[in-house]
Amino acid sequence: MTALAAAIQVLGGLALAPLLPGLVQSMKARLQGRRGPSPLQPYRELRRLWGKSLADPQPTTVVYRLAPCLVAAATVLALLLVPIAGRAPDWSLGNDALVLVGLLALARFALAASSWDTGSGFALMGSGRDLTFAVFAEPLLVLALLLAALPAASTDLVAMAAAAAGSGPWTEPVHWCGALAFALVILVETGRQPIDNPDTHLELTMVHEGPLLEYAGRDLALLEWSAAARHWIVLVLGAELFLPHGGGFWAQLGWLAAGVAALCAGLALTETAQAKMRILRAPGLLAGGCLLALAGLASFLIGGL
Amino acid sequence: MNSAPPVIALSAWREACLGALDRGGRFCGAYASGTGAARRWNALFADGAETLVLSADAGAADPPTIVDLIPAADWDEREAHDLRDLRFEGRESQRPLATHAPETASWTVPVEGRGTHQVVVGPTHAGVIESGHFRFHVVGERILQLDTRLFYKHRGLERAAEGRSPAAGLAFAARACGAGSVTNSVAYAQACEAALGLVPSRELRRGRTVLLELERLYNHLNDVAAICAGVGFAPGNMAFATLKERALRLNCELAGHRFLFGTVAVGGSVLDLDAAAAGRARGELGELRADAEAAWRELAFAASFQARLGGVGVLSTEDASELGAVGPAARASGLHIDTRGTSPGLWYGSAFAPARPPAASGDVAARLEMRAAELPVTFELLDDLLSEPVRPGDAAAGGSTGPIGVARVEGPRGETVCAVELEGEHLGRLHLRTASYANWPALVHAAAGNLLPDFPLINKSFELCYACVDR
Repeated sequence: MTALAAAIQVLGGLALAPLLPGLVQSMKARLQGRRGPSPLQPYRELRRLWGKSLADPQPTTVVYRLAPCLVAAATVLALLLVPIAGRAPDWSLGNDALVLVGLLALARFALAASSWDTGSGFALMGSGRDLTFAVFAEPLLVLALLLAALPAASTDLVAMAAAAAGSGPWTEPVHWCGALAFALVILVETGRQPIDNPDTHLELTMVHEGPLLEYAGRDLALLEWSAAARHWIVLVLGAELFLPHGGGFWAQLGWLAAGVAALCAGLALTETAQAKMRILRAPGLLAGGCLLALAGLASFLIGGL
Repeated sequence: MNSAPPVIALSAWREACLGALDRGGRFCGAYASGTGAARRWNALFADGAETLVLSADAGAADPPTIVDLIPAADWDEREAHDLRDLRFEGRESQRPLATHAPETASWTVPVEGRGTHQVVVGPTHAGVIESGHFRFHVVGERILQLDTRLFYKHRGLERAAEGRSPAAGLAFAARACGAGSVTNSVAYAQACEAALGLVPSRELRRGRTVLLELERLYNHLNDVAAICAGVGFAPGNMAFATLKERALRLNCELAGHRFLFGTVAVGGSVLDLDAAAAGRARGELGELRADAEAAWRELAFAASFQARLGGVGVLSTEDASELGAVGPAARASGLHIDTRGTSPGLWYGSAFAPARPPAASGDVAARLEMRAAELPVTFELLDDLLSEPVRPGDAAAGGSTGPIGVARVEGPRGETVCAVELEGEHLGRLHLRTASYANWPALVHAAAGNLLPDFPLINKSFELCYACVDR
């Protein structure tokens, strides 16, 4: 079973990740009355980009050159930390939630550094906004994970997933607060409305797309894949830690698939129903999520007295 | 107006312009005409249904600038400098407008200070739009100043039309802009008819009014959809884009062209709708109206959409007036300018009253609501006009002829001003000043002080045309 979990973790994370943004785009198109692309469209994009040559803007340094690899590497490592259906193979990395936070931050830093290296206005603007949001989004991620870690008394993701299994956690306010806070984390990390608009062509409004504008070919393929893998990481984590699951390995695997599909549908619905919010109000939304998480923390402490 | 305007001496030019303003005139364009010693610098002032033409003798010396008296004349003077080689006495800076100097400093407003930097967009854009270059001076996300550089694809239509017959010149005015083709064509045709002394028949006036309102209908539906797209609100965008498509198909059914090209002629009209066709069109318009009202109600209850509109891109009443803004943008700022109310050459009637905005706050919300408020007026007008067949009309000789003809026509984005100077049988000068041309400076002004990512939304709330500048 652990071997199968390992296979899904690696192969699934690598190969299935692009399906998630593809699914969201496809569902969104249907909801908006369009025919839309097939869910497999991201794979076609990746194949097209992978076959193209690289182009470096001048003058750039090694920072720009290495950033896509660094982002992809950090994302692959993060993938290996996320347990599948409550099982995690031993890669000698552990499964610590805080390491995951650090790896996501490393990927964000590498991309921001590359924007600074190119000096491109749109890239810097996007990175600047991404980092501003990160000031609020990273504490939110830490707090949401902390709320899941409290009942498990451990920041090990396997233990956290086990502690969130069954119906017991659903009677605890801390679980609900954590789930809502993590929902905001999903919106930020996947770069979707009302925080960011992944479909826009308006450079002035871009957040996550901005730093990608200077990249082409395989670099862009790596970055696009990393963005898809971030979908995988946060959606799988959301399903494992905050959505219903439990039972044996196969039952958990079923719950996981259903949970991720439900979260994709949720993203499509949110993007359809919500316009993008005014950019300076986004930190307020995230700060509100932090407050909610703190309220969950307080409820846990009071309950524990 | 039809006799040639008296030529004003340069020393009296500023006073003459001030006098026109004092008598209630509204500046609506200026253009250079003639060459050599016969060169004139003409300014146009709207006064009710009349248009006052002031003409200065610019053959021997440079005319004095009026930009300090009438800021709305800024673009006209800069364009005349760049394209007609006219210089203006007393202008402190003469930043290029139509010609593109390589040095950035020559055409931008200097902005200095800690943390200010420039963000540059265009002239090539990611979307399917025309070429325009925007240079934002920003601190953080806040726009301090916007400099635009347009005129990338200037076609020289005005010059190309010179020397042609009035009938042949129509194509040049019609192709200046796709979305305002009827407005520009009607303005041109009316200007020619004024110069030739032709008086439009009842049928001609009705036919043109039907075409103008059809054009307004699809443009307003398009603009609402564009504002929705500007904030990523897909349901509203899709709903109004669908309505616009239906309006375009109706255009095609009625006039044989989705954008109503080729429907206007000098001294005549080709629109021919019998009772059955007019009745079918009324039925379709009735359904379109009901669906547009339903779609608008949906927008009103979309809180995340509405939260983006208020207080963004504010154009005050004073600024709108000073900068010469026209159309829905001016009305949303509290200026009650609607040329439809003073258009004897069209069929609006004395009872026509332009829609008033729910709140003339001059922001994106007001400009959006202004369009929504104008849609029912357009539906009412069309319903009334199509209650009887629309037959081809003509224009009969009867008015006074003269070397200059001027016409003003209200289009979807505001007033198009067309001036035609005849030299014998041929066009000596064609001047076309569309609403987009008039409103670009207002958009630039409204953008300052706002957040950079809100600019696409502000831009779409004006929805100005690049081709109107590149005429």
